[in-house]
Amino acid sequence: MITIEFSVNDKTYVLEVDPRERLLDVLRNRLGLMGTKEGCGEGECGACTVILDGKTVNSCLILAGQVHNSVITTIEGVGNRQSPHPVQKAFVEVGAVQCGFCTPGMVLSAKNLLDKNPHPSDEEIGVALSGNLCRCTGYDKILRAVKLAAEEGKQ
Amino acid sequence: MKKRGIGLGCAWYGTGYGNGFPDVSSAFVEIHDDGSATVLTGAVDVGQGSSSIFAQIAAEELGLRAEDICVNTADTDVTPDSGTTAATRQTYNTGNAVLKAVRQAKSRLLTFAAREFSCPTPEGIELKAGYIGVKGDPSRRMILGYMVFKARLNGERFISAESSTARSTPVDLTSGQGAPYWPYSFGCQAAEVEVDTETGKVKVLKVIAVHDVGKALNPTQVEGQIAGGVTQGIGYALLEELELQKGMIKNPAFSSYLIPTALDVPKIEAYFVEEAEESGPYGAKGLGEPAMLPTVAAVINAIDDAVGVRITALPATPEKILQALAEKKEELG
Ligand code: FES
Ligand code: FES
Repeated sequence: MITIEFSVNDKTYVLEVDPRERLLDVLRNRLGLMGTKEGCGEGECGACTVILDGKTVNSCLILAGQVHNSVITTIEGVGNRQSPHPVQKAFVEVGAVQCGFCTPGMVLSAKNLLDKNPHPSDEEIGVALSGNLCRCTGYDKILRAVKLAAEEGKQ
Repeated sequence: MKKRGIGLGCAWYGTGYGNGFPDVSSAFVEIHDDGSATVLTGAVDVGQGSSSIFAQIAAEELGLRAEDICVNTADTDVTPDSGTTAATRQTYNTGNAVLKAVRQAKSRLLTFAAREFSCPTPEGIELKAGYIGVKGDPSRRMILGYMVFKARLNGERFISAESSTARSTPVDLTSGQGAPYWPYSFGCQAAEVEVDTETGKVKVLKVIAVHDVGKALNPTQVEGQIAGGVTQGIGYALLEELELQKGMIKNPAFSSYLIPTALDVPKIEAYFVEEAEESGPYGAKGLGEPAMLPTVAAVINAIDDAVGVRITALPATPEKILQALAEKKEELG
C-alpha cells in the first residue's frame, strides 16, 4: 500500500491505495463518484474519460500510483442541475443524450477541447470526440451540441 | 483515384413480435391530488426515449405538462409487464397501453367533475393547462389537483389498469398466407460515398434519410433514432464483422470489432413522413430498427455507382473492394 495525495474536483484527498488499483475504481469505489463509467475496461470506449492534469485520459488505464500530486476533473466537477456547464446545457438543448452511458466522457472530452480551443473546426471536434464511442446517437446531435456550445462561447 | 457515387436503399419492416406471438403491453395509472399523475409500466427505456413518450401521452390526455407525470418503469416489484424493448414496439404497443390506461382513469375523473360542476355530461368537461372545467365556460373551472382532492374526500380515486395487445396472426405454413405484423414501418435513404480506388477505403459523405413514423410524438427523438440507425447501418455496411471460430468470438473488443466513431459519420439529414397509423397512439408507430435498414443497401449501391463493383458480403472492407476492383480489371482484360 502507498499513500497518494491528489485533487479531484477542487478537493484534496489523501488515500492509502494499492498502487495497482485503477483510477476508475478509486474514483467510483473509494470516492463514490459514479459519474465515471466503465464500458470496456480496455481503453477503447472512452466511457471512463476524466481530465488528468489538463489532458483527457481513460481512467481504466491509469493506475492509482500514477496520480500522486495530480489534479483530476470528473463529470461531477463540471456542472450540476442548478448550474450546468455550457457543454451540458447544449447537450440538453440539442437532445444529444440517449442512453447516457457515453455522455460523461463525451462532455469531458468536449469541455477539455473548448478549454484549449474555444473555436474548433468540425474536424477538430470530430478528432477530440473520436476516442469516445457512442452506440445510440450516431454522434450527429453530439457534434451539433459541441458546435453550439462553442458558438455560445463566442458571444 | 477518388470516385464518388450515390445509392438508394428502401426498407419496410413489420413491427412487434409478429407471427401470432402474444404481444402485450400493460400500464397502471393514477391521477393525484397534487395535480400530477403516475404511470407504471414494465417497458424499459434503454435510451430511445420511451419513458418521455409515456409522459407526453399522459400529459396530453390530462392537460398537464410532461414534467407533471412521474413514469416508473422496469421494476418487477411494482410495474406490470410490457414485454421487451425490442421489435420496434414500445412507442406503439406500450404507448397504446398507457393511452388506454390514462383514458380509463380520466373518464372517471370527468364523470366526477361533471357531477361537481352540475354539467349534464362528462363530454362537457375538459382538461387544459392544469385546469379542469366546463367547456366554453371559464367561470366553471378549477385546478385539476383540487378536483382530485375533492374526489378523494368523497372516497373516489382515479386509478386504472389497462393492457394493449398488438394485432398479429401466424402465417399459415402451407399457404404462406397470414397477417404476421401490424403495423409496418417504411423508410428510404440515399447515401453519397467516396471510394479511394488505390486503398479501397470508403468514406460516406452524406446520408439523407426519410422515414414514415405515423406521427412524430417527439421529433428530437425521431431525429436521434434516425441518426443512430444510420450510423449503425454504416458500421454494418463497412466496418462491423463478427469473427467466429468454433463458436467463439475472435474479436470481442472495440479494437478488433470496429464500430463507427465521430470521425466516421457523414452529414445526416433526417426527414419524416407523418401518415397517421390509425391503430397507434395519436397515429404513431415504431422507428427504432427500420432506421438502420436502408443504410446498408444505400451505401453498397453507392459504392457500385462510384466504382462499378458489386459487394455481396458485408462488411465492404477495403480488402474486398480492392479485390473486386482487381477482378473487374481482369475481366475487362
Ligand atoms: S472503460 Fe476505459 S476506455 Fe472503456
Ligand atoms: S447515448 Fe448511448 S452510448 Fe451514447
